[in-house]
Amino acid sequence: MNIIETKKLTKYYGKSLGISEIDLEIKEGEIFGFIGPNGAGKSTTIRTLLGLVYPTSGSATIFGKDIIEFGPEIKEDIGYLPSEVFYYDGMRVIDLLKYSGSFYKKDQAVILKKIKELAEYLDLDLKKKIDDLSYGNKKKVGIIQGLLHEPKLIILDEPTGGLDPLMQQRFFDLLREENKKGVTILFSSHILSEVQKLCDRVAIIKDGKIVKIDNIKDLAKDTHKRFKLEFKGEIDRKQVTELIGVSDLAFDDNNASFLLKGNINEAIKLIAGFELTNLLVEEPDLEEIFMHYYVADKK
Amino acid sequence: MNIFLREIKAYRSSTLIWILSLCTLVTVFLFMYPAFTRDVDATRAIMANLPAAMRDALDISLANFFTIYGFFAYIFTFATLAGAVQAMNLGVGIMSKEDSGKTVDFLLTKPISRFKVFTSKLFASFGLILITNTVFSLTSYIVAGIVSTDGLDIQIFSLILASFFLIQLFFLALGILFSMLIKKIKSPVAVTLPTVFGFFIIGMLGSIVGNDNVRYICPFKFYDLNYVIDKGLYEINYLYIELVVVFIAVIASYLIYSRKDIRAAS
Amino acid sequence: MNIFLRELKVYRKGLLFWCLGMVMLVASGMAKYASFKGNSQAVVELMSQFPKSVQAIFGLTGFDLTKASGYFGVLYVYIALMVTVHAVLLGAGIVSKEERDKTSEFLFAKPISRFRVLSEKILAGLFNILVLNLVTSLSSVYFIGYFASDESFMSDVIILMVGLLMLQLIFFFIGTAVAGFCKKPKLSGTIATSVLLLTFVMTFFINISENLNWLSYFTPFKYFDAKDLMDSGFNLIYLVISAILVIVSIFITYKFYYSRDLDV
Repeated sequence: MNIIETKKLTKYYGKSLGISEIDLEIKEGEIFGFIGPNGAGKSTTIRTLLGLVYPTSGSATIFGKDIIEFGPEIKEDIGYLPSEVFYYDGMRVIDLLKYSGSFYKKDQAVILKKIKELAEYLDLDLKKKIDDLSYGNKKKVGIIQGLLHEPKLIILDEPTGGLDPLMQQRFFDLLREENKKGVTILFSSHILSEVQKLCDRVAIIKDGKIVKIDNIKDLAKDTHKRFKLEFKGEIDRKQVTELIGVSDLAFDDNNASFLLKGNINEAIKLIAGFELTNLLVEEPDLEEIFMHYYVADKK
Repeated sequence: MNIFLREIKAYRSSTLIWILSLCTLVTVFLFMYPAFTRDVDATRAIMANLPAAMRDALDISLANFFTIYGFFAYIFTFATLAGAVQAMNLGVGIMSKEDSGKTVDFLLTKPISRFKVFTSKLFASFGLILITNTVFSLTSYIVAGIVSTDGLDIQIFSLILASFFLIQLFFLALGILFSMLIKKIKSPVAVTLPTVFGFFIIGMLGSIVGNDNVRYICPFKFYDLNYVIDKGLYEINYLYIELVVVFIAVIASYLIYSRKDIRAAS
Repeated sequence: MNIFLRELKVYRKGLLFWCLGMVMLVASGMAKYASFKGNSQAVVELMSQFPKSVQAIFGLTGFDLTKASGYFGVLYVYIALMVTVHAVLLGAGIVSKEERDKTSEFLFAKPISRFRVLSEKILAGLFNILVLNLVTSLSSVYFIGYFASDESFMSDVIILMVGLLMLQLIFFFIGTAVAGFCKKPKLSGTIATSVLLLTFVMTFFINISENLNWLSYFTPFKYFDAKDLMDSGFNLIYLVISAILVIVSIFITYKFYYSRDLDV
């Protein structure tokens, strides 16, 4: 079953475009990454799904129900963690979390238990006033607030800013744990490495349009390889340049580096003829692929 | 219920301060009534020297002012000014604070409809106004009962006090509407004060020169206390005007609220 | 100068609205005078013998309403109320808004002292106040002149407008002092306004009772009462108190803003 499904979802803010004809299908139990630079339309998509802004055209369903018609009902099972957390002044952490929990039909005692569990796991003092918390600790309040009702779908909008690496790790473990229980996760970010770490499938968004949706492994594979060659002597630039399927070629002193798409045998044969001190063949990271899509598009 | 209770709690102390100030205002003022009755006697003595025709004319126009109602109406004008500020500030604040505090994401991603958020806040603010009026009215009844030498006409006095509630209701609705129409309200008082004082001044100037047309646009003049003291009734047309305005303001606010885009915090 | 200019720009639109509002207030107020026929002089004189409280409750003002300047005297209370609302909100707002809008980190990370920030903001505020006063004064002169047939009113208007400026200054600096002192930026506007409302309502108590005249020292609105100003000019004691109020407020503004932890 598709947990989230959008059909030609489009949003204009007045005349300026937010997103255009977004088609997404997010399946139950997957961790879906949503990447793109700032202003590409990630937040707009998420805010539309949550009913914070209304689509100009197109439609979307969550749990098979229309997001506008069944908004409140759907949200019973959604946990949302925004990129920036601003919470009510003058409240203690526990007050806010209880207030947050009070919106859900679930047994409040169960929610309270979950709050305490999560707080302990994330090392957060529930008795403090929210005003007195550091940015990172406010973020933790946000995380607990999004998870305390054991949602079936978790939506995260650039959630990791302000968390130290250790906490980030714990947070990701937490998400994986939830995911194992069958929870679906939509994870939006502009930091590719964290998407790579966590997600099964990923959609790349640019200027309000989906550029590509792919399995993260396929995306990384796509038979791209990053070659780094260190020459003993002079580089035979001509030969390297003429190799089929080379892109992103760079020379630097005795070093050559390029991205190779397609058959690697030709390249290996060619390289066998060189005098090298070192050779590296790597999986390109998502960052490079990502840039590839963006640069390619610009041309 | 949770939003309702949360809002009541959030405005608990400020409402308490308003109630205390209003009650102190009328109490201190009403205890000056005995001194005023002596001044009235002095006035009558001056008037006794007048030609009969002039004295009778003056007597009629002054009659209402010499009662406890007339005396009360004087300070009541300023109590309603303060009450209007309270109500409108509440209306503007309760609806716009999620926006300015950026907590709107928090609220609207919970499994509740916007209709429920809106009505919860509407009822909370209405409840706070109701509490203010109950305490204010009781205090006024009690203190007026104590200082009045010849009893208290419950109907007249109740109608006077009820006009406080009606004016607050008007400004509450207006405040809610304004909070929907004006984008990014950073400080509710900056919206409230010019509006309320503007209406107040229009009304005052209108009454100084006896211009009746002003009454249709100025809520402070919907309920003419002179008329109430004379007849023990409201002029019903103005009550209708108010109800229509309040009704339209609330419906329009809800429609705007239910359709508006909540954009990312910036 | 950059903060000064920036603040002028921020408040430009608001100031325009306020100026328009004041012109309309003066215009509509004086327009009513045109259609107004005051009580005959005889009745006014008679009623002036009544006790103060009876006069107040009956809505008598002590002004000769048959004259345009007398009528303007009545209007003055409301003009004063509006411009002081402007001044107190401006004073509280201009000092506290960086914290309210969470821009204080931006501003105070720049190589400038708090002294300079505050001074430029206050200067910008004073500029706004002066503009509003000038607009009000000019429209008053124009509209009174339009309705007053042959009486002289210039000296009355000038003294009233100087009084108005004093009121504006007092409440502007009360606003800045509250904002400088108050740690919660959202509260400062509310507190400053409460002070204004309290002192305004106080004048109505003073009006009905001879015994409460001593309260006049506590409300600036009585320092620059239209009737007193037009009858006998400025009162030296009140001027001294005003000056002290302004100086103390400025001192509090700087002192506390300078030394406290900013809310970020």
